[in-house]
Amino acid sequence: MKPGGEFHLIDHHGVEVSDATYHGRHALVFFGFTHCKVVCPRALGRLTRVLDALGPLAEQIRPLYVTVDPERDSPEVMRAFLERSYPRFTGLTGSRPQIDAAKRAFRVFARRTADPDDPDGYAVPHSAITYVLDPDGRYTTHFTDAVDEREMTERLREILS
Amino acid sequence: MLTAEQLGHLRHFDNLSRQLPNDWSSMQGKGVGQDDFGGYRFQLAYMAYALALAHVHWLPAAPGVFKGTFERLIEKILLPEVWMYWRDTSRGGAIFNQHLGDRLHEEWNPVVRDNIMYSAYVQSMALLYHYLFDDDRYAKPSALSFRHWSFFWGGEEKHFDYDENSLNDHIYWQMVENGHLGIACEPNCIFQICNQPAILGFRMHDLVTGGSTAEEVTRGYEQAWLQFGRLDAGGHYNMMLLADTKTVLPNEGKTPWVDAWCGTLMNMWNREFVRANYPRQVRELLDRGRDGTMSVRSTSPREVMGQRVVADSCDFGWVATWASEMGDSETLDGLLAHADRHMAPTWGDGGLYYPRNDAETDAQGNRTLVEPLTGNALLGYARLNVPDGLWRLYNEPWDRSHFTEPALAAVARDIDVSEAFFDRAKRTLTFTIRRREDVAGSGIISLRNVDESASWKLAPGFVLSRDGGVLSLRCPPGGFQTIVATLR
Repeated sequence: MKPGGEFHLIDHHGVEVSDATYHGRHALVFFGFTHCKVVCPRALGRLTRVLDALGPLAEQIRPLYVTVDPERDSPEVMRAFLERSYPRFTGLTGSRPQIDAAKRAFRVFARRTADPDDPDGYAVPHSAITYVLDPDGRYTTHFTDAVDEREMTERLREILS
Repeated sequence: MLTAEQLGHLRHFDNLSRQLPNDWSSMQGKGVGQDDFGGYRFQLAYMAYALALAHVHWLPAAPGVFKGTFERLIEKILLPEVWMYWRDTSRGGAIFNQHLGDRLHEEWNPVVRDNIMYSAYVQSMALLYHYLFDDDRYAKPSALSFRHWSFFWGGEEKHFDYDENSLNDHIYWQMVENGHLGIACEPNCIFQICNQPAILGFRMHDLVTGGSTAEEVTRGYEQAWLQFGRLDAGGHYNMMLLADTKTVLPNEGKTPWVDAWCGTLMNMWNREFVRANYPRQVRELLDRGRDGTMSVRSTSPREVMGQRVVADSCDFGWVATWASEMGDSETLDGLLAHADRHMAPTWGDGGLYYPRNDAETDAQGNRTLVEPLTGNALLGYARLNVPDGLWRLYNEPWDRSHFTEPALAAVARDIDVSEAFFDRAKRTLTFTIRRREDVAGSGIISLRNVDESASWKLAPGFVLSRDGGVLSLRCPPGGFQTIVATLR
């Protein structure tokens, strides 16, 4: 079964959303958490540069950042985090069952582990996969963090055109 | 050129592949219900892997020797007798999982969750087939179908359809969900070993489709195992990981199969690591006999809950395959010499195998234990492999032009092929064959990508003819003869 499908979450403005909210345009979906020290900053920065490189074509894409750490990532926290550094993205959070359901739908790995370097004492290592959904919300493809920016830009350009 | 023994192993694989459905003669091991490492699935898969190695390294211009056997092995691994253990094992499995009993349920679909000890073999065999024979038959919808229905019980048919791509995708996404640690065999039990075949399958899928999944997965796999360590405190491969508690079970007893099976396969993508550890690891597992023979020191079967675990460890066979991949000819030759002396090599219908023997040793203390996996598949695999054979299959793939070169496309059952290659520089197809009189068959070889206009060097009695557009070579009974066709 391909990843993707139905989800019910809350965006970083506090509005209840679902997968259907984003139909009509392609979506780029990345799962992470705002306290992430390495994977998320690298991925969100990379995706931002790819979207910049796409120019006007990027208007056809909704970039979504779904937290795997809803206990800390409230809508307000996500909004502040994204608007400060990655303003192209809309943050999505929700209750623990909602997030777990979204993780299952996208076949995401994320597991809370102890992290003595974190102020709260934990981190949530997670998979670093960017999903591309078509305007009907169906899985089109995915990119791992091994795919470089140029290749991702070109493949997205092909998908969008 | 293949030896008589190597040809004998190939013919034995073929003989087993031709047994009637659910005739598992000479393949039945000590264990009950296909639970353990001697199960039919392993025998079928490692015969297929051995065919792949023999095709690539010994007879690259003779796909016709292997293709039919490969298809029949895949047909057999799809039979419910091979995978129905999962209905029961899926409910909990190993003794480590008693606390999960109320969470798990009976699962008929043998590939949908866990059970990488089966699903990865189906995946890798189908994709090896596609790569080796440039044939997409298992990419067709429902080409890999798991079906069971009983007149006597069971209600509706159990029916699960996959193909090589959907199965590959499914295994890939399970890997992702598990953080690339790997997929469990029995629920909750992630063995290092049993995820290696899936990596082989990913690589074959990449070769067929142009992706890079294998590179991605092995990178993630390395990263994920960093926190646990690939080796235990004693320097042997960790056996497995309990997924829920992240508890690593080491190979504390120096159980040979744990190291040898893992090393045999992992070499394909992690060669430097495997090779760096091999000499020390294998030294602790071997017994040296007289005249250069060698044997393997097995550990005693485990005692758990007052029960002795009955299982086919196949220690001897795995150490032989490992030595073959490492190019350790002293150990490999020593093991095969021991097998030939003490393990009753048997010829039947032109095939060579070592029949099951449950006796640990003979009266003189020589190891005589042979499990069907060892005797049918692994010793043949070891004898047919070449140094770094699986590594080369994985890392030095054929280019597309291989499939445009002259080749033996179909080979009658009564013909042995001991050599078949195409020399690109000289533009010559060379093959050495004999037609057996003790095996029924038409004596005909069908050729492709070569025609009568080539300069043919034929031995007396060999006749070229064209039948329905296919160029065929009719072979007379007799000894080995070498045929050469030079393209103009």
